[in-house]
Amino acid sequence: MTQLLECRECGRRTYYEKRRCLECGGSEFDRVDAGRGELRSVTTVHVTPEGVREPNRLGLAAFPGGANVVAQLDEDLTIGDAVRLQGGNDLRVTDDGTLRGARLVAAE
Amino acid sequence: MTAQHRDAGVPDASPALDDPPAIAGVGMTEFASADDRPLVDLLLAAAERAIDDAECDASTVDSVHVGNMAAEAFNERSGLANALTGSLGLTGVTARRIENTSASGASAVQSAFEAVAGGHSTYALAVGGEKMSSADTATATEIISRITHDREYEQGVTLPSFGGLAAAAYLDAYDADRTDLARISVKNHANAAENDYAQFRKRIDVEDVLDSPAVASPLRLYDCCPTSDGAAAVLITAEPTTDAVSVAACEGATGTHAVADRTDPLEIESVRLAGEYAYETAGFGAETIDVACIHDAFSILEWLEMEELGLAPEGEAWRLTRDGETALDGELPVNPGGGLKARGHPLGATGVSQVVELVWQLRGDLPEGRAVDGAERGLAVNVAGFGNNAVCTLLEADA
Repeated sequence: MTQLLECRECGRRTYYEKRRCLECGGSEFDRVDAGRGELRSVTTVHVTPEGVREPNRLGLAAFPGGANVVAQLDEDLTIGDAVRLQGGNDLRVTDDGTLRGARLVAAE
Repeated sequence: MTAQHRDAGVPDASPALDDPPAIAGVGMTEFASADDRPLVDLLLAAAERAIDDAECDASTVDSVHVGNMAAEAFNERSGLANALTGSLGLTGVTARRIENTSASGASAVQSAFEAVAGGHSTYALAVGGEKMSSADTATATEIISRITHDREYEQGVTLPSFGGLAAAAYLDAYDADRTDLARISVKNHANAAENDYAQFRKRIDVEDVLDSPAVASPLRLYDCCPTSDGAAAVLITAEPTTDAVSVAACEGATGTHAVADRTDPLEIESVRLAGEYAYETAGFGAETIDVACIHDAFSILEWLEMEELGLAPEGEAWRLTRDGETALDGELPVNPGGGLKARGHPLGATGVSQVVELVWQLRGDLPEGRAVDGAERGLAVNVAGFGNNAVCTLLEADA
């Protein structure tokens, strides 16, 4: 998923689906493009669960509208760099198949 | 408090208590990387020590509250509360298990506290325990990482991953450096070295931390708590002796499930709220706390939680560590028993063991070199996941 949910009441955005807006309690959301975010933190994880790449570089990015996202980071980016969400990646292999989803990549 | 919380008119804290419940007795097992005894035997050993400490008979217990995260996954069993009451030889009591991931222990204490405060129980026994050694590290990592949000799980995020992200952000935002972070583990190991109940009774130095294997940059192995076997118990009563330690407050609060849903990666809203509620109920604040047990599953959490609880100004907790203020002989000793890092972290036992530690400190049971001098008020915070939920307990020595 490379889109965010935007609260129809107050405009607060989130990557993590839920029934109520964290800001105003509103319950109606529109799907919007995430746009361009900024890396707030990065880590390289050396001990990962089975089915997850090792090492697993992760980024925490802040997107417009108050939406933060933690996702796999594909390139050697650092705090302050501009990023976007890129969909369709193989993220994790589980007994029930491969989980696919978004990674953080450099934004032009 | 979030906007929706305000709008809903949710009360912040439980009402103040005129006659707060008190701790009749405490006990725990020696935490270990592996304890051969089955989980129920660990729970029983801790329970018997608490009952003995209270100098009462098990038959006085009228409710049992067992904290455990994942006995089904680690030990392929359930029914812990009933097995424990059976082993204690108790029938006719209220018994239940409480699960709140790594804060299951404090939630069991909260359940026992509420039973007594609400007049439902006169002697409520909270017992927390976990036996993690039955699973290999990969299985344990998978069990624990399964508590994350589905959108986090698919990314392969583990609990140490959040620790790494928070630590990197903290070191970027403030003047603290990697060595300051190492000083937390060094301090907690020094405290554990004097604690007979600690898993790691070994002093380490800054170099040991910096040379340990990388886990989630900038965190290394010695920034992370171990997996552990152990149990701890507290007996809470409505009819304390005059010199008993009282439970001034025990309050819980949830945060967001997805860690990134917080507006600031250095914020742990659940800890801040649980602390605010607890201070309000207790009628005293952070400035009066003499000793604290903080949920240091990762070194960085000690700073983040101290700041959320008002025990250090925002962005300043690292200075207290660097200046030795959080050491056993400092202004505000933090984790005098060694914390999760060095006492060990048998998930469901941890929150109870924090209360055990504070009771020992506030009763003045401990020898010099292990004791916090003159402590009268103590704070414990036990955290579920990376802040999904937190429980803050405030204890006060008999005035």
